[in-house]
Amino acid sequence: MTAATQNRAAGLLGRHPVGMILAAPYAVYLAIIFAYPFGFSVWMSFHDYFFAAPGAIVDHPFVGLDNYKAALTDPAVGQAFKNILVFLVINVPLTTGLALVLAVALNRVVHARTFLRVSFYVPYVTASVAVVGVWLFLFNSGGLVNSLLGPLAPDPSWLVNEGWAMPVIAFFVTWKQLGFFILLYLAALQNVPNELYESASVDGANGWNKFWSVTVPAVRSSTALVVILALITGANLFTEPYLLTGGGGPNGASASPVLIMYQRGIQQGEPDFAAALGVLLVLGTLVVAYINRRFIEGRDS
Amino acid sequence: MRRWPNVVRYFLLFLGALIFLFPFYYMLIGSLQSSPDTSIKGAFPTGGLTLDNYQDINSRVDLLGSLVNSGIFTGGVLLGTVVFGTIAGYALARLQWRGRGVLFALVLLVQVIPFQLLLIPLYVLIVRGYGLADNYLGMILPFAINTTAVFVFRQFFLQLPDDLFAAARLDGAGEVRILWSVALPLVRPALLTAILLTFIGPWNEFLWPFLVTKDADMQPLAVSLANYISTVSARAANPFGAILAGACVLAAPAVALFIAFQRQFISTDIGSGVKG
Amino acid sequence: MKRALPAALLTLSLALAAGCDGSGGGDADQANAATGPITIWLSNNQEELAWGKAMVASWNGQHADQKITAQEIPAGKSSEEVIGAAITAGNAPCLIWNTAPAAIPQFQKQGGLVALDSFDGGAQYIADRTGDTAEQYKSPDGKFYQLPWKSNPVMIFYNKDIFAKAGLDPEKPALSTYDEFLTAARKIKSSGAAQAAIYPAPSSEFFQSWFDFYPLFAAETGGTQLVQDNKAQFNSPQGQAVANFWKTLYGEGLAPKEMYNGDAFADKKSAMAIVGPWAVKVYGDKVKWGAVPVPTSTGKPAAEIKTFSDAKNVAMYSACQNRATAWEVMKFATSQEQDGKLLDATGQMPLRKDLQTAYPDYFAKNADYKQFAEFAGRTVEVPNVPNSVAIWQAFRDAYSESVIFGKKPVADSFAGAAEKVDQLASGS
Repeated sequence: MTAATQNRAAGLLGRHPVGMILAAPYAVYLAIIFAYPFGFSVWMSFHDYFFAAPGAIVDHPFVGLDNYKAALTDPAVGQAFKNILVFLVINVPLTTGLALVLAVALNRVVHARTFLRVSFYVPYVTASVAVVGVWLFLFNSGGLVNSLLGPLAPDPSWLVNEGWAMPVIAFFVTWKQLGFFILLYLAALQNVPNELYESASVDGANGWNKFWSVTVPAVRSSTALVVILALITGANLFTEPYLLTGGGGPNGASASPVLIMYQRGIQQGEPDFAAALGVLLVLGTLVVAYINRRFIEGRDS
Repeated sequence: MRRWPNVVRYFLLFLGALIFLFPFYYMLIGSLQSSPDTSIKGAFPTGGLTLDNYQDINSRVDLLGSLVNSGIFTGGVLLGTVVFGTIAGYALARLQWRGRGVLFALVLLVQVIPFQLLLIPLYVLIVRGYGLADNYLGMILPFAINTTAVFVFRQFFLQLPDDLFAAARLDGAGEVRILWSVALPLVRPALLTAILLTFIGPWNEFLWPFLVTKDADMQPLAVSLANYISTVSARAANPFGAILAGACVLAAPAVALFIAFQRQFISTDIGSGVKG
Repeated sequence: MKRALPAALLTLSLALAAGCDGSGGGDADQANAATGPITIWLSNNQEELAWGKAMVASWNGQHADQKITAQEIPAGKSSEEVIGAAITAGNAPCLIWNTAPAAIPQFQKQGGLVALDSFDGGAQYIADRTGDTAEQYKSPDGKFYQLPWKSNPVMIFYNKDIFAKAGLDPEKPALSTYDEFLTAARKIKSSGAAQAAIYPAPSSEFFQSWFDFYPLFAAETGGTQLVQDNKAQFNSPQGQAVANFWKTLYGEGLAPKEMYNGDAFADKKSAMAIVGPWAVKVYGDKVKWGAVPVPTSTGKPAAEIKTFSDAKNVAMYSACQNRATAWEVMKFATSQEQDGKLLDATGQMPLRKDLQTAYPDYFAKNADYKQFAEFAGRTVEVPNVPNSVAIWQAFRDAYSESVIFGKKPVADSFAGAAEKVDQLASGS
């Protein structure tokens, strides 16, 4: 491609039109797999809708913002959003911090490397259904955690304590997902040039200084990634309250928006309400993700 | 970094590893018990372990067939993600073209949408619109290109130093060539991380393949095991053990694969190739 | 581009949605008369599956041109999602042998079910087989969208060893009034014979109330359903008495508030359990058990006590093309012969009015099942009203808040829930 054609094409198709071709399969994929269901969900959220068999004659009148009003005024929904906030406040900083520290430590490890890495990774590969059983055993009132804590154990016990149910879920998810985020950081650390550490050493920096002045800035865009992925995982929390606290108990203290979507939309046959809640959740997550990007990524193009 | 006291670091890492492994260890022990023993002593058995729970699964589930189905399902997703996801990630990170902003906004949007919102419309689309019930393609399609992986690819391509690309372009290399021989080799650890991320999704996914397949011969391991768990959980001699055994069977191939490939994730030479 | 995209998506989705609503279906009369191969779904629990496969084999042996293909779906949590999705996509099977009565109103609203009255003698067949109990399975429009198939009338199982250890009479324990029950429960707990007197699942899934509140409510009220005539019935003195009874159990720690991972009764952590006849096979030799009816405040005689049926039924789905065959299969599989085989294989009670006289040999041989069979004629079903699942969830939330966790007085929570339920039941 000559410079002249490049320039002419730049006006219409951008500087690298080949990018369109490279991205095309993915764009087509999104169009045929996600466009319809998502467009349909948005459409549903403005109508009085329920799923009907093909051939059944049913009326789906336009109802404007009624579904949104219903979702916003439902106390269970408000509670679920509050719960998820508690979750994020605990889970996101804990995940990011622990993942980075552990990745830096693991990166320098010479002995027992495989064992250590596999240990942190195993929870991530294991299906939630299975590990939930073990956590129930650990955190119930006669469980191992309470035996260790003795008189410090909370009463009522963790998963039936309104103040503790959500934090326990947040710890569970941190534990479960951490391996993946450690790997993300480990991969990013490979791209930090050694010279940076060397010149920092020449300047007399100690380990702690180097961590803050070299490592943390060098993996900044990975941190943005980790934070966004952790945010999204948290916003879409479902399996854990569904299984670990028996459907969002105690008393709705661990219900999540997606759990309520599932109950209302699929179990109770109100997909219009669920769609409105889903759209609200998506918007909320996007706003938080955008703010986060502004803060962490900063200079990113 | 070298001044970090080694002993302390190893101590903390091993302690963390033990904490992380304990529930998994307990799962394994539980799957070997003939009756559930939830006491603390039960976690450190001295005898009385049995393979009965595993034998029971083996007699009720076609493990090999399910494993093959899981392999096809997961393999299809991996192939789609690696082939189309990397190039899309590269285009999003390194190339300027019209519509890039829109596509990136969609990448964010798709990740943020909870799957439960799309479940039934997607099912109608794939089963009714495309006629893909009881079909591998129907199982694979919703996961075919993992959007989180595309996002991860983009992020790693972004991290590569700009000079590298400027130099390659000065040498007259085309964009596809730069992707293939400059960018891809440099992000290999990221590639493997994304593969791993992609692998776990379909491997543990239960609801979707279950909705799409009613034919038991088509069902992947996660579905067969979930069906098994739902029937035995009330009836087996040791329901808890049966569930845990099912979980171990599901986890074992994933862990084995990870151990086999984990050396590839961090190849120490890569760092030196990238000089800023 | 940016503005065009959402508009394009919307148009696309509308076009597809219209396409979904318009096609398919076919002429109902024609389908009703059509015969040919059909597909059915069976619940995957081992005993039922064995019965189902034998039934299919025996039908297929006689009907080479109308063969049945049987597939399995899990009996557990996800079966309603699967059926709901299949209805919407139009690929539901002809018959599902384990349709929960609570799900019927929703499937019917979706247009997913075939009214069985549309077959010659359909309603009559149901009435002849099941008797008066069948009335509870009629939908508000007066039609049957389900064939009452089998019930699991629930009773209280108790562990004789634990009772003996607690100093209670293991053979004839006094458990018929609330006071007696509470006295026994306190003794079990204080003697340390078991961690819990009784251990119903304290979680918030909508169906959990069927195994704690509802059987006792049915007994206390002499058979009132949760909702009748579009009005919530639980906010009554009887309903509150039942709730306060459970509240005492939870408040004094006689029933734990925490989920148990496994089966507390089988693991001997709990002295009692609320179960159906399936339990006879499951607990068989593992636990030395006895069974008594659920308690009432005044200690009604056993013969007057009604209980929750925990029934599972058969429904025909509108995606079915060869409905004449499907209807014949329904009758074939609920004949006296097949019902007998079901009873033999599973111990669950076919919903027949002549249950005990039709299978005298079985009940002579299996005395344990006889007491369940006596209840089979006195069961109360979940109400067949619109928004059935939403109603149970609203009730469960109020119950969980006031009874299990004691955050509010029962009267307050129930009054709030009753208002919500009235609204839901009226169909809005």
